[in-house]
Amino acid sequence: MHVVITYDISEDKRRTKIHKILSSYGQWMQFSVFECSLTATQYTKLRNRLNKLIKAEEDSIRLYFLCECCQPKVERIGGEAVRDETVFFA
Amino acid sequence: MGTVYISTDDTFIGKTDERLRVRAQKETLLDVPLIKVDGVVILGRATVSPAALIELLERKIPLSFMTGTGRFLGRLEPELNKNIFVRSAQWQAAGETDRSIHAVQGFIRGKLKNYRSTLLRAQREGIDGLEAGITRLEQATNPINQTSIIDALRGLEWAGSAAYFGHFGRLIRNGDFSFKTRCRRPPTDPVNALLSFGYALLGHDVQGAINIVGFDPYLGYLHTQRYGRPSLALDLMEEFRPLVVDAMVLSAINRKALTPSDFADEPVSHAVSLTDEGRRKFLRLYEQKKQSKFKHPVMGRQCTYQEAFEIQARLLAKYLMSETEQYPPLVLR
Repeated sequence: MHVVITYDISEDKRRTKIHKILSSYGQWMQFSVFECSLTATQYTKLRNRLNKLIKAEEDSIRLYFLCECCQPKVERIGGEAVRDETVFFA
Repeated sequence: MGTVYISTDDTFIGKTDERLRVRAQKETLLDVPLIKVDGVVILGRATVSPAALIELLERKIPLSFMTGTGRFLGRLEPELNKNIFVRSAQWQAAGETDRSIHAVQGFIRGKLKNYRSTLLRAQREGIDGLEAGITRLEQATNPINQTSIIDALRGLEWAGSAAYFGHFGRLIRNGDFSFKTRCRRPPTDPVNALLSFGYALLGHDVQGAINIVGFDPYLGYLHTQRYGRPSLALDLMEEFRPLVVDAMVLSAINRKALTPSDFADEPVSHAVSLTDEGRRKFLRLYEQKKQSKFKHPVMGRQCTYQEAFEIQARLLAKYLMSETEQYPPLVLR
């Protein structure tokens, strides 16, 4: 499944932690916006990790799901390019 | 899902959170989530941190070490499969048994039929002078099912391959490259260098699939036992050679994805190899080929070549354990 995750976190320290967790599951697109393509297991794991960290009364996280047919219709102007995941070089 | 190729020397591979992080000279070269990684290949020298090592093993991601030029050194494999029944069936079929003969017939038939369809496709695309090769390939393919001596089957394979490589040069439609005969150890022209490097990469992938299924990679049927030679991987690789490597090398050359400036040769041995930049291009093309999809004729569903390695290994396991009547090699039109 393809998920767009946005967040608003009041505290700097907690925001950095959220950022680090999310970078393990997807790609950082803009400030407070991630795009992740996950399996159901990976999604559950991610949500568990976020749940443990978040303070629901101060912070907010939004997860928007994109269906298969909407995914290729995403238009991106400028900014971060989508990572090529067929092969990685270093 | 993709493979990580690390070709920079003296890198440090570490783990942060659930990501693999590759650093060199205090600079981060790569930072990818482990959920997107299905293999790590180190070309040259690198340090792997203990934490990363454990994480790779637990996630069952194989780690291969190669020299900078692509010679295979070794592989860190997640725990060997516990399926002893596959291995014992494999050993019971060793030598000239009915099962091994049938498997060898399958490997060779698959390879030669795929060779033939490569040539036929080229003929349809307007290259002439291939009829002799196609006829000779058919002459080598037809008697396979009646032949039940493995040495005779090896002879048919040799004849078929000779016919194919005798005409391989005609398939190249790029004036900068030419192919006369297959030569290796070392390859002395760019096309042979590409084929050799491609076969080496394919060998590792097939060996990986064989390990996953639970075979002993060193006991083969077509290839005899030799110290340190993964014979079964070489056996199972035969049918994939034309499908994966040859097709990809030809398209790389014909579409001019690689140019003569991507190659360098050694003055004394005349060994030709890829430059750093060329190697990157080649690895990317190889990876794309492996991820490309087709419809598997036996399973009847879409799969990538990467998955096909494992599917074929599993079909072989089923045949050796008498769960199926036949081993069907992967033959594509």
